[in-house]
Amino acid sequence: MAEKPLLSVRDLSMIYKTRKGAVSAIDHVSFDLRRGESLGLVGESGCGKTSVAMALLRLLPDNAQITGGQILLDGVDLIQLSEEEMQNIRWKRISMVFQAAMNALDPVYKVGDQIVEAIERHERDIDPAEARKRVEALFKLVGIDPKMADRYPHEFSGGMRQRAIIAMALACNPDLIIADEPTTALDVIVQDQVLRELRQVQKQMGMSMIYISHDIAVIAEVAERIAIMYAGRMCELASAVEIFKRPRHPYTVALMSAFPSIVGEKRPLVALGGEPPDLLFPPPGCRFHPRCPRALDICKQQQPPFEDIGGGHYLACWNPAPVVEVQS
Amino acid sequence: MTPNGIPLVQVVGLKKYYPIGGNIFSPGKLKVHAVDDVSFTIPAGKSLGLVGESGCGKTTTGKLLTRLIDPTAGKILIADEKNNLVDLAALKGAELKRFRRRVQMIFQDPYESLNPRLTIFDIVAEPLAVQGIGTVLDREVMVAKMLEQVGLTPATSFMFRYPHELSGGQRQRVAIARALVINPSFVVADEPTSMLDVSIRTGVMNLMMDLAQKLEVSYLYITHDLAVARYTSDDLAVMYMGKIVEYGPTEEVLHHPLHPYTRALISAVPVPDPTFKRGAPEIKGSISKPINPLPRCRFYERCPIAAKVCEDNDHPPLEDKGGGHQVACYRV
Repeated sequence: MAEKPLLSVRDLSMIYKTRKGAVSAIDHVSFDLRRGESLGLVGESGCGKTSVAMALLRLLPDNAQITGGQILLDGVDLIQLSEEEMQNIRWKRISMVFQAAMNALDPVYKVGDQIVEAIERHERDIDPAEARKRVEALFKLVGIDPKMADRYPHEFSGGMRQRAIIAMALACNPDLIIADEPTTALDVIVQDQVLRELRQVQKQMGMSMIYISHDIAVIAEVAERIAIMYAGRMCELASAVEIFKRPRHPYTVALMSAFPSIVGEKRPLVALGGEPPDLLFPPPGCRFHPRCPRALDICKQQQPPFEDIGGGHYLACWNPAPVVEVQS
Repeated sequence: MTPNGIPLVQVVGLKKYYPIGGNIFSPGKLKVHAVDDVSFTIPAGKSLGLVGESGCGKTTTGKLLTRLIDPTAGKILIADEKNNLVDLAALKGAELKRFRRRVQMIFQDPYESLNPRLTIFDIVAEPLAVQGIGTVLDREVMVAKMLEQVGLTPATSFMFRYPHELSGGQRQRVAIARALVINPSFVVADEPTSMLDVSIRTGVMNLMMDLAQKLEVSYLYITHDLAVARYTSDDLAVMYMGKIVEYGPTEEVLHHPLHPYTRALISAVPVPDPTFKRGAPEIKGSISKPINPLPRCRFYERCPIAAKVCEDNDHPPLEDKGGGHQVACYRV
């Protein structure tokens, strides 16, 4: 690839220290993000997808510790930056949209004022009137009536609040926006509107996006490439079409066969047995092997490398599923 | 057991209005029409999916059917052991308690619906104890059998543990065991899988469907997720602001939706296929609360095909368009 990626995560590992011991939340995770690209990060609760997002922003709780790896943003390792330098990265270069929109807005301040404050904090010399103007433009961009800037959060519906949060995340024109389950609490019709808004704005502004979700249907609609995580590790990473049509990791295959859809033929859903492992004591070898229908002896002993198997399709598996065109 | 054709559950003109404002001496004049004149029938052995957005009244309907709350008006007819339809809405005291053997509920959040101080045995045996079924020893056998049936095997290794020792999926299996242990004929399941991860969710869904067949139970399956409803329900009822706007066989409703609201809802559901191009749902504005609603179609303000007839007349009645596919719309 000629173009240098915007973000390059290399062998990132992180633990949470608990009274019982170290929880291996992220283990040797690597991926690249190109400029203007949207990457979907999929996995179940506790697989480490939100931890990756928090590590990128260095917003980790006190008991978290990055134990190895690099997070290169345009070649600069974010892990090595001081807290002060990191504050110049957050919002300006990397911003985030969280799941709980209600908690992200202060109920006693007008929504517009909160966004103006965010802009002023990061661009000290900006003229207040200009900040104000930018808020109006942002509101228009995400499909909210600019007059709503003078209202309080409780006067916003759930979907509007989430859009206001998106507007706030866009306020300093970041290179990368991390969206962590931004529509999970919303009803489908509102979710659809927010997703459309988000995708359009991302394309229009040429931003990169990491979209985190457990819902592969939502990911299918927003992401150009998809990364699948399981128990703190990367299983598979490829273009969206490749992941859905030619999944190779048995976990990816299991996710696809367990997921219901309202279109197409009603095929039986196949459940995956067992439960994700306790990351205090992760299983040796491949972390998926206790639940894997294709597990071999080697899977119990050795961790499979995460490698390109051709055409930018990355896979960590000793015994990948055969290539079968999945009919939709 | 109810033979085919005889309804197991028949709901007629069910209403629940909540007063807002006012005080204990004078109730408020404004009322939220949470459930407004809802009627449907569930044949024995079939399951009905109740879908809609938050606040549409689907959970209130579920609570009414289990008499966790009392209806403002309407009948809830449920077949008893001799296939006679009994009005649950009119039962009181000991009669109501006895009838609870027939009707059970599974809640959404297995982290809140199980008492953390009770063992799994105590939780699952509680309905038996309340109804005075069997001796303690009998109950132990029944609970063990039920736990095995919900896939918590071997039962002896789960019986004397506490909910905090179990995962979300296992807890929900305990909640299912508790609902089914007294052999009910009808279970209201309110979003039973929405808190679970995909790989766990499908296992619980499949389990519920297997048990429905084995134990001859019917579900009222309440969910916001149409794809889940497709796999758990024979029939589908779509609710909007306290009204059922469309009702019929699940595949028929999903593939040939007639009501403009159902159409919008279906076209908003993301599809797990990156090559699938979904159109934008045709709907205006956002949902509001049915507080003293005007006598016109509830969907009027948001409807893409609304006309004068929809404003001049009260909310349209459900009308059969063939094959049991019913729609409440003047314009279809």
